[in-house]
Amino acid sequence: MFTRILVANRGEIAVRILRTCRVMGIETVAVYSDADARAPHVTLADQAVRIGGAAPADSYLSQTAILAAARATGAQAVHPGYGFLSENDAFAAACARAGLTFIGPSPDAMAKLGSKTAARRLAEAAGVPVVPGAVPANQSDPALIDAATRVGFPVLLKPSEGGGGIGMKAVHAASDLPAAIAQARREAEAAFGDGTLYVERLVTKPRHVEFQVLGDSRGTVVHLFERECSIQRRHQKVLEETPSTAVTPGLRARMGAAAVALAAAAGYSNAGTVEFLVEGRGDSASFYFLEMNARLQVEHPITEAVTGVDLVRAQIEVAAGGPVPWTQEQLTQRGHAIEVRVCAEDPRQGFLPQAGVLALYREPAMPGVRVDSGVTEGGEVSVHYDSLLAKLVAWGETREAARRRAREALAHYPILGIRTNVPLLMRLLAHHRFVAGDLDTHFLDTEAASLVPPDAPPTADASAVAARVRRGGSDATTAADVAWDPWTSLGGRGV
Amino acid sequence: MGDGVSDPSATITPLGAGRFLLSRDGRQRIAYATQAAGATWIFLDGEVSVIGTASSSRARDTAAGEQASLAAPMPATVVAIAVQPGQKVAAGDVLIRLEAMKMELPVRSPRDATVVAVKCREGELVQPGVPLLELDEA
Repeated sequence: MFTRILVANRGEIAVRILRTCRVMGIETVAVYSDADARAPHVTLADQAVRIGGAAPADSYLSQTAILAAARATGAQAVHPGYGFLSENDAFAAACARAGLTFIGPSPDAMAKLGSKTAARRLAEAAGVPVVPGAVPANQSDPALIDAATRVGFPVLLKPSEGGGGIGMKAVHAASDLPAAIAQARREAEAAFGDGTLYVERLVTKPRHVEFQVLGDSRGTVVHLFERECSIQRRHQKVLEETPSTAVTPGLRARMGAAAVALAAAAGYSNAGTVEFLVEGRGDSASFYFLEMNARLQVEHPITEAVTGVDLVRAQIEVAAGGPVPWTQEQLTQRGHAIEVRVCAEDPRQGFLPQAGVLALYREPAMPGVRVDSGVTEGGEVSVHYDSLLAKLVAWGETREAARRRAREALAHYPILGIRTNVPLLMRLLAHHRFVAGDLDTHFLDTEAASLVPPDAPPTADASAVAARVRRGGSDATTAADVAWDPWTSLGGRGV
Repeated sequence: MGDGVSDPSATITPLGAGRFLLSRDGRQRIAYATQAAGATWIFLDGEVSVIGTASSSRARDTAAGEQASLAAPMPATVVAIAVQPGQKVAAGDVLIRLEAMKMELPVRSPRDATVVAVKCREGELVQPGVPLLELDEA
């Protein structure tokens, strides 16, 4: 087993990985950019190494700086988290050359799965169903238009490399293609350094259901059931839950077997996620392989909540050469878990990301609730990184119990100083379609009107508290003590 | 004037550290409050109110169509500049593409206009409120 691990990430995922390392008795090394010098992941680690400037390219994406930090601190292994270098097979190979264990799949498996085209071929060869689509060898506009016409509209344009929804464009008519191709290509080049595009048929009213897998270096692969991720905005997940309301035991068995078959075909070791689109629900539903994410997922805690395992611990154990710690038969789903992603963004301003100081930030603590965060009160949310502040995970014996716990926890999760999506998440969890489990990947767009209501004046209660805050002092007061108040005529209640 | 001011039935007791006990009609709730960026921020039952944001009121008072200069909504990197000085643009055209926190933010023309000046360059980190581009007067 390793005695020292470097965590090559920041924010909530770095904190989450550091905690498991500490529980395992493994010394920890954090790395940080100038923007993160006093961030929670830095102060939690046994050692911390500055690796460069605030821009990701100068720090968290700098392979040279991270490898130098590992060398200088004597770390034996690197955990990449998600994002940044986590799915970079060249980095995994560079770690191996430097004598470091990369806690993730082999560079070869990553390369196979990182390219959507190669992953698709692998799925077809393993007998896993795929959505009709093509990657034209000729990437000219006319050839892409021709490919889209053959696949049939509506189509989805995707970067061949990459993920996270970046650069994906839904196109409903041939006339819209040239502009969409140009934008998708530019975003793919900017994000992944490769503008190759993939054209696939858009499945209408799909659900996004993914399976967690874990493999070891001996070729054993198990799955840890599904995660329903249909609540998305522009392909960025907002809420995830498990089990899925669309998945029956029969469908779960078929999808789980497909996920394991795909991972085995790729020679996959460590934690990964096989993403599917599901059309319909129950035993008669169809499912199609989308892609495999060769890393720990943001939403892994809901799987941990219902299976009772520590996925990061399992990742570290198999990276150290150990076997998958459980048999398929030992793994069961108990109860229901829901995760909401708490993000610094303003839904009323088109979900504009928000940067600034967290003037007040208090996490809820209550039975069945876990908060994974990478921020503290007084900390600054930097413009350089993504807007995810924390993940709130609620577990309950039933879906309804988990849903109620999630709402109660959010109602006691004040974040002030910058706008967040907490009010949106509150409304989402109370939405009648969500309560009924009637989901598809267009849910947030379809229900936007009720989830993001127009700006309203502050309530009487909020105005009364605001007036009391400005008056200062520590005595109790009634709102009537406050005379005319110019503030309440300004501004408004925000999301 | 807000309703809270004329409503004597609410009692508010500071509990310290930004927590307030709000009592109305025999029902108690905890509110959280702080002052930040010139405004009072209140969190109550999962809803957030920002009271006294003079800048946002001003923004609402200014019709977008009258703006002569366009600025970034937040600190962001200029990814692409799609126009040149002298170019005629239509309402809704994307003039500049910004990126912040991994999101692409298009700056669109608020109206039909002519670009007078471009005041940023690609790759530049720009601050909110600083003009990126000027259009001719409406």
